[in-house]
Amino acid sequence: MSSDNITVHHGEEINNSTGVSNKKLLMWAFLGSDVMFFGTFIGTFMAYRNKSLNGPYPADTLDIPITTVSTFVLLMSSLGIVLALHYLKESRMGLAKLWLFAVIIMGLIFMGFQVYEFAHFAHIGMTPQVNLFGTTFFTLTSLHGAHVSLGILWLIFLLYNEFNGNLTSDNAVDLEIAGLYWHFVDIVWILIFGLLYLITAGDGVPPGGIPWEGAH
Amino acid sequence: MSTISKPKQFGLPRLFPRPMSHYGIWSWVGTVDHKKIGTMYGIVSFFWFIMGGIEALLIRLQLSHAEANIIDPELYNQLFTMHGTTMVFLVVMPLSAAFFNWLIPLQIGARDVAFPRLNALSLWVFVFGSLLMNISWFTGGAPNGGWFGYPPNSTIQFNPGNGMTYWVMGLNVLGVASIAAGLNFIVTIINMRAPGMSFMKMPVFTWMTFITSILIVLALPILGVAGIQMTADRVYGTNFFNSEAGGDPIFWQHIFWLFGHPEVYILILPAMGIVSEILPTFSRKPLFGYSFIIFSGAGIGFMGWFVWSHHMFTVGLGPAANTAFTISTMFIAVPTGVKIFNWMATLWGGSIRLTTAMLFSIGFIAMFTIGGLSGVTHAVSPSDAQQQDTYYIVAHFHYVLFGGAIFAIFAGMFFWWPKFFGYFLSERLGKLSFILMMIGFNLQFAPMHWLGLNGMPRRIYTYADNMGWELSNLAATIGGFTIAIAVASFIVNVIYSMRNKKLAPGDPWDGRTLEWSISSPPPHYNFAKLPEVSHIDDWWYKKYPSLLEGSPKGDLTPKVKVEDTSKVNESDIHLPDLSYYPLFIGIGLSLAALGVMYTYALVTIGLILVFWGSIGWSTEPVNEPGQDHH
Amino acid sequence: MSFLKDLFEHDGNGWWKIPKTSEAEANPKSEHPFGDFIKRTKAFILWLTSGKGHAGPAYYWVIAIILGVITLVEVWWFEQDGLRYILVPAMLGFSMVKFILVVAFFMHLRFDHKLFSWIFVTCMIIGVFIFSLFILLSAFHGYGN
Repeated sequence: MSSDNITVHHGEEINNSTGVSNKKLLMWAFLGSDVMFFGTFIGTFMAYRNKSLNGPYPADTLDIPITTVSTFVLLMSSLGIVLALHYLKESRMGLAKLWLFAVIIMGLIFMGFQVYEFAHFAHIGMTPQVNLFGTTFFTLTSLHGAHVSLGILWLIFLLYNEFNGNLTSDNAVDLEIAGLYWHFVDIVWILIFGLLYLITAGDGVPPGGIPWEGAH
Repeated sequence: MSTISKPKQFGLPRLFPRPMSHYGIWSWVGTVDHKKIGTMYGIVSFFWFIMGGIEALLIRLQLSHAEANIIDPELYNQLFTMHGTTMVFLVVMPLSAAFFNWLIPLQIGARDVAFPRLNALSLWVFVFGSLLMNISWFTGGAPNGGWFGYPPNSTIQFNPGNGMTYWVMGLNVLGVASIAAGLNFIVTIINMRAPGMSFMKMPVFTWMTFITSILIVLALPILGVAGIQMTADRVYGTNFFNSEAGGDPIFWQHIFWLFGHPEVYILILPAMGIVSEILPTFSRKPLFGYSFIIFSGAGIGFMGWFVWSHHMFTVGLGPAANTAFTISTMFIAVPTGVKIFNWMATLWGGSIRLTTAMLFSIGFIAMFTIGGLSGVTHAVSPSDAQQQDTYYIVAHFHYVLFGGAIFAIFAGMFFWWPKFFGYFLSERLGKLSFILMMIGFNLQFAPMHWLGLNGMPRRIYTYADNMGWELSNLAATIGGFTIAIAVASFIVNVIYSMRNKKLAPGDPWDGRTLEWSISSPPPHYNFAKLPEVSHIDDWWYKKYPSLLEGSPKGDLTPKVKVEDTSKVNESDIHLPDLSYYPLFIGIGLSLAALGVMYTYALVTIGLILVFWGSIGWSTEPVNEPGQDHH
Repeated sequence: MSFLKDLFEHDGNGWWKIPKTSEAEANPKSEHPFGDFIKRTKAFILWLTSGKGHAGPAYYWVIAIILGVITLVEVWWFEQDGLRYILVPAMLGFSMVKFILVVAFFMHLRFDHKLFSWIFVTCMIIGVFIFSLFILLSAFHGYGN
């Protein structure tokens, strides 16, 4: 009876005002929020540039060739996920799964580089506690790493669902929002690579700083 | 995060059966209904309102006479820190959130918010975050570095112990709750409006919620970063604010106020929205200059980002920076002033009914104007040099936050109580509360202006008897206890009205917006038939269509009645089932935050709870198959 | 005195009215040395980036290759001592180009609903503005004291 009652299956499924998906809207708004999160960290990093009183300084530690490789891997993972989404939308499940798997592997490789880098820095005596450069460098990169790790977990969950038959072209939006998140993590790394690595890597001893004498 | 909504689900083994009952304790614990969530927000934050009030009374007791020694100085520091933190983060923000939850779906004509379970998550994270912050009273001392936690007062070198760590971890957890709620309301307002309700036809409260949500989503991450930096400094020995290693304590002030100034508007914009709904209803006139109020609100929301350094005029940023921020701060007074004139013009020539809600709203305008004007005096950086960190500042922000936000929230409670719960609050007791609160409020905070200009610093523990501050301080203390009586009379009012229910019809005040078009209290599905909107104040013009033709004295017999729900077939309306995962994610987050201070075991347990909850959340079907849904 | 007549009686409406111009006068033929080249290039870029029928795998590969090449240029630039003095603006520029490429094409902002662009661009503007101001304030801390 009362045929004009509108059947609503779930609050999460209604989109009636703008015609865009609620989930995508949520993800974009969240990314806007994350802009401010990383913005504050990058702002702090730049404001503390050349303010460390003792070593190691960026010129003593940062290794650009290695980071270039890991940057390249993360950039290509962005390509991977956009292809995975494309093939998922076209229901070419084999390619979709392959590319999603590739993205996860590339994410893991990137994390491997980061773990290696952190371990190397700790070995030569650069820790978050040692000076301002260490403090700002480690907080920014490790929180970026935390975002990447979360993304990897999320993508593994989605890949599992692709194999399970739950993630198909019908609900490709679930992969799409994960992809948006992944791309965002990628563009944050683009900024980190440009600002934190390339610009500061040449910074030696600032005025008033004590030159670094290597690991003790 | 991602809900796989295909019929075929992979079943994660459940630790507990999914709560299904619509009655009893589990229907509240597992609820995803925005109305129940709003009620719980209200109850929990009112509890913290009383706690924060008790803290304030203890402070006033200590300051009531010169050379007092009623409270231990260390406890005094904890009291003023927790009073500020509680009132800002555990009272005004979540009380506003209670109104968001209750009203937004009703005002935009929706059945629920866009993400019901995310909404429940916000609630539970808030509840456990507030507990996390307050258990510090029992674990070696509450936070004691002031509500903005300036280093070096808050660094581990000068403030050992866990107090300030509880503070930053508590703020981080509360930030998660606020951001989740903010995102949810942004999506809800953009995407769930009833057919025909364009942005410029939305109720003003919805508009202010929208702007507030944007501010929350953009400002709280900055606080999160400040919190992470402070936690790293305190727990892991990093150097962000450690001047020995070249760190700059001023950066904390920058980052905190980058968050803190938008936060001020997060606190006041919902109050402005509430008042902008009440004044037209009880003046029986449309809001004067609807679009002006909207654009002023948006203007405040935008300009609020570029004024933060006016909190830092005395740190020595230099004349160039001080001048720039003086100018931008004076500018932001313009849209606020515009709103005050709009409210007064709304009252002008209206047929005014002085209900309790209306009295509180008018009180809001008056008190907020006083607070706004004293605000302009310290927008001027040379004059601020005299006022910085004195009781003048305390007077100012209590006039805008108590005289502003809390007055408006009380107005909103009296106004929407019949809609939310189906019965009126007693008007007599309500007017008593208003008179007591108005007297007590002014008795407490007006003398603080003089105290401040006479040089009494804020946060001072006690003072000598030859300073000439005794009479004003005594008056302020008496005022504080008068406010306490006013709040007590409100609680008596609630209990009394609950016992002697005076039932409310669907549209008790001859309201203007969509929430009055349904029965009181609203059915759990809100609208049996989603409304179609064609005007601002759509419900008003549906009732009195002749008013649309321009004559101010149209036919004032309502043409439509409140929606009759007795004939609705509820089995046609499907709403999501309950879920307990938000609760467990909330517990997990707070445990993890607690573990940062004590042991990684607790962090691991907390994160496992969060992880398990997220997976369960993502794989949970919207409606449990094979159940009879309501 | 005909100019007065023109002034006051042009088009029969008085001198304050702007005289009507013909279509050819309003849009004169391009006298740019490259002719229509710029216009046509713009049209080509628009056609290329509108993504209509183009946002396929090949398209994404091209974007990815551009991103990779820019990264290599960045690193090359970094290694050149002679270019060190404009390293900061160059790196900011390269990062911005990569940022925009990913956001516009990989994240589909170029093709998607305008709402998403509004949300993201607003946040970016506020963020970039206030954090630049923050860095500026810390760089010129106490300037003029």
